[in-house]
Amino acid sequence: MAEPPHNGHYMIAAYVVTTVLVLGYWLRLWRQANKV
Amino acid sequence: MRRGLGISGAGIVALAAVYALALGYTPVEARQGLAQKIFYLHVPAAWSALLAFSLVGLASILYLWLQDARLDRFAAASAEVGVVFSAIMLTTGPIWAKPIWGTWWTWDARLTLTLFLFFLFVGYLALRASIHEPGERARFSAVVGILGMLLVPFIHLSVYLFRTLHPQPIVLKPSAPSLPGEMLRTLMISMLVFTVLYIGFVTARYALTLVNEIKEGRSDG
Amino acid sequence: MPRSLQLALAVAGKDIRAELRSRTALLSAIVFAALVLVVFNFARDPTVLAAVDLAPSVLWVTFALAAMVALNRAFNVERENAAIDGLLLAPVSREALFLGKLLANLAFVGAVELVTLPLFVLFFNVSLGRALPGILAITALATIGFVSVGTIFSAMAVRTRFAELMLPVLLLPFMVPPIIGAVQVTSRLLSGRPLSEMWGWLRLLAAYDVVFVTLCTLIFSAIVDE
Repeated sequence: MAEPPHNGHYMIAAYVVTTVLVLGYWLRLWRQANKV
Repeated sequence: MRRGLGISGAGIVALAAVYALALGYTPVEARQGLAQKIFYLHVPAAWSALLAFSLVGLASILYLWLQDARLDRFAAASAEVGVVFSAIMLTTGPIWAKPIWGTWWTWDARLTLTLFLFFLFVGYLALRASIHEPGERARFSAVVGILGMLLVPFIHLSVYLFRTLHPQPIVLKPSAPSLPGEMLRTLMISMLVFTVLYIGFVTARYALTLVNEIKEGRSDG
Repeated sequence: MPRSLQLALAVAGKDIRAELRSRTALLSAIVFAALVLVVFNFARDPTVLAAVDLAPSVLWVTFALAAMVALNRAFNVERENAAIDGLLLAPVSREALFLGKLLANLAFVGAVELVTLPLFVLFFNVSLGRALPGILAITALATIGFVSVGTIFSAMAVRTRFAELMLPVLLLPFMVPPIIGAVQVTSRLLSGRPLSEMWGWLRLLAAYDVVFVTLCTLIFSAIVDE
């Protein structure tokens, strides 16, 4: 059977972006909560 | 507020678990390779974005009917959270598309719909930001929410009349899902986690709006 | 004639007469459309792309932009005259009020389109021939769709701080289905394709018009009433 394509860097990019967005929004909410 | 942060915080920890599952537990898809694992993030994000959008529409209808300010606050919170999940969709989508279809973007049904959801959310939030009077803001937002909700089927139909490149749904087939067990299980868990994230974020955002309103009320009176 | 229809026509008539008296908005929209056509002409390489291939897209982008300009102006005039407050004090049905505004806007945008079409034929050397009735029909069908939503949004936008920016941001997503359909049908009309190829799009546009005109009529009171 042929080997699957080497595209792991796309996977990493997507996972990093998602983490940044999710964590980033959480931090934004947290910071605004503390300002209040 | 703390409850919202707590729920979403738990969601984030669970997300880390999903990452572990997706990266370690699930098999590598033969044709698509490692990039296929973006699936476990992209699809649940799409689900959350669509959930957020539908609830904005529903809350808008209920607001115009019941005139309850809580519905307006909820719609605003859901819209903001929806932007976040749409952004995840709009970034992971092309990142997944490039290695699989060879192009960053195509105007197929689902990617186009995602883009429109994003624009509708942003327009909704921009409108809210430009109106100060709360009653007017709530009413106008509700109008946009309802109109936006009705636009979505038309966008879908319009794009459907074009050919679509998007893979056919392989999860919810009535006979048997063509996904191997580990993949299906991980996907389901991820959907649950993203739903938890949605609930947590909306709760926190709602509380934030409420607190700000109270603060403004105190400084006026 | 039912009273609400009478009222709607009266409102439409008032708006149209007001615009005909000053004529500035109509003229600026037409000049704008003409300029857009000129830009399109220089924005393509005639040796690479035949005019007839680009024609439907050029026509509809021009119509869309001109409609946006027209809608903005229409409500601004309204606001400057504070005329709508007077109307709202009277016990008139909001639905009739909306229909009147819609008719006036349709007349306005329609007038711009009617002047732009011959300009388009002139600049791009596209012969409409037997396609003309079809083109007029599809123009009407698509225009009704996006002007109905546009009337609602321009009524909202004038009450916000960034009206000129708010209207396009809100309205453009709603212009997409009518424009997709219009371009597809226009393109087939110009190539002389049979009606069967356009039927799906025509039904989509008709459905769009029915849904959004109805919805906008009903929802108008949420914008003008406290």
